[in-house]
Amino acid sequence: MEYVHAIDNNELERWPQLFTEDCLYQIIPRTDHEQGRRIGIWFCDNRGMLQDRVSSIREVNVFEPHVYRHVIGPTEIVGAQDGAWRAQTSYLVVRTMHDGEMHLFSAGRYVDEIVLEGPVARFRKRIVVPDSWRFDTLVVIPL
Amino acid sequence: MSQAVTARPPQELVSWPEPGYTRVPLSVFSDPELYAWEQDRIFRGPTWSYLGLEIEIPEAGDYVTTQVGDTPVIVLRKPDGSINALVNRCVHKGSIICYEAKGNRARAKNLTCPYHNWIYDFDGNLTSVAFEKGIQGKGGMPPDFDKSRHRLLRLRVETIRGLIFGTFSERTPPLRDYLGPVMVQHMERTLHGKPRILGRYSQFMRNTNWKLYVENSRDNYHPSLLHAFFSTFKLNRLSAEGGTRQDDRSWHHITFTKRHTDKGDQAYDSGMIRAMKQDYGLKDPSLIDQWMEYPDQITNSIQSIFPGFVLQQILNSIGTRQVITRGVNDCELVWTLLGFEQDTEEQTCVRVKQSNLVGPAGLVSMEDGAIGGFVQKGIRGDLDCAAIIEMGGREVGSQPTRATETSVRGFWKVYRELMDV
Repeated sequence: MEYVHAIDNNELERWPQLFTEDCLYQIIPRTDHEQGRRIGIWFCDNRGMLQDRVSSIREVNVFEPHVYRHVIGPTEIVGAQDGAWRAQTSYLVVRTMHDGEMHLFSAGRYVDEIVLEGPVARFRKRIVVPDSWRFDTLVVIPL
Repeated sequence: MSQAVTARPPQELVSWPEPGYTRVPLSVFSDPELYAWEQDRIFRGPTWSYLGLEIEIPEAGDYVTTQVGDTPVIVLRKPDGSINALVNRCVHKGSIICYEAKGNRARAKNLTCPYHNWIYDFDGNLTSVAFEKGIQGKGGMPPDFDKSRHRLLRLRVETIRGLIFGTFSERTPPLRDYLGPVMVQHMERTLHGKPRILGRYSQFMRNTNWKLYVENSRDNYHPSLLHAFFSTFKLNRLSAEGGTRQDDRSWHHITFTKRHTDKGDQAYDSGMIRAMKQDYGLKDPSLIDQWMEYPDQITNSIQSIFPGFVLQQILNSIGTRQVITRGVNDCELVWTLLGFEQDTEEQTCVRVKQSNLVGPAGLVSMEDGAIGGFVQKGIRGDLDCAAIIEMGGREVGSQPTRATETSVRGFWKVYRELMDV
């Protein structure tokens, strides 16, 4: 839940801390994921890249202000591997623009590997797999 | 085969404020009647449209579905290895025949309309009409119904370096003549090996008339100003060596940069350029590490082929972009990111990492998705105004600089010629 609130409450600086140092965060459409393709719309293979994304959102990129509202389904623990829990969770994201326009922005699932680092559970891997290959205008905030 | 449903010719719909290409009436981006004429005179006119990659249909019977402007098209590999492009519309009731993004019809050896089972061969000939002779002697088509008089419209198809192009018009010159030697050489240079698809996605550009995106792809004035990521990391500043190339007719465009030649310019250090961020750094600078893939030392190039195709090299991120029209107010951009069969794993990893620069979440290119909408919003209420396009002079043609809008003027030159406005 911390993940969702970090994003939806515009506390993006908290978001990279939910991942391990050598994490993988990717957004790749369902059809490409099923075909085993390598490139989606977003690829970060360490926490530094996540932090770079956040600072780029804050300081560099040009876009109309908007917020997300994540709705998360129940998590299924799929198994355990190399000291990590493997899990999958459905999500919906509604995007609301600064002028009030609101629409369903993305639906899909998270494919995760979660590890314990001391008392803290972190994502070693979070693959966001949207059902659609089509993205409306831009995806600047992480899903 | 006219798409234009309007009785009013384009000249009555829009008037150019002056001769030449330095002014563009803003109403061209929102007039639905002009949009209908564009389908007819541009997308079904004497132009080549990009249809896909040969590697998407490697086997006999493989097909993909796409669009040329608004028109649905099937692109099909025949058993003899050649490629056909057919309008995806049954002659009976107008239903689409192939309703999936891709598939294979090798076993069926034909195309069958799902609605009433009318069947076509791979060349688009109508070969069977269900219940043509009726059932138990009753019903059926009239005896003089002649199947050979009805067929799927077939486009002319040509390929270059694995890129498939199609045209509706008999008047279109052969593909290589249409492109001209400068464009052909650059395509062959960029696609230097057998391509491999690394990823594919679409960006829906809300409130962006298709011409706003195509203009943007030819506008080399904007990248270092709009895309802060480019300027801050000196990836694509106008103070680096680069230029603008066109074919002889100024229909097509290449912009290129050699990032390692950037000697700087007072304009970037003045503090007046929003996109120059002096105190910004990356925690993981490997994102912009690139290997010198091309002997010409070009580190960034965008090639825009009229009407709606873009071939990109952004560092080592190679890809195609196909513009799909979605009515007068919106358009869609289909991105296919490529590597080559001979790439090492290390090189593939660089391409994967640099995929962060492009697409709807691209640190560089996401702004291109939004900027058309900014314009479309801005011009409301002032459609009798005109855009000013004078950077780099008032003419068209190649220029040894990127501080120019010569290729935007080139776009409007072709537009006025084809639309007769």
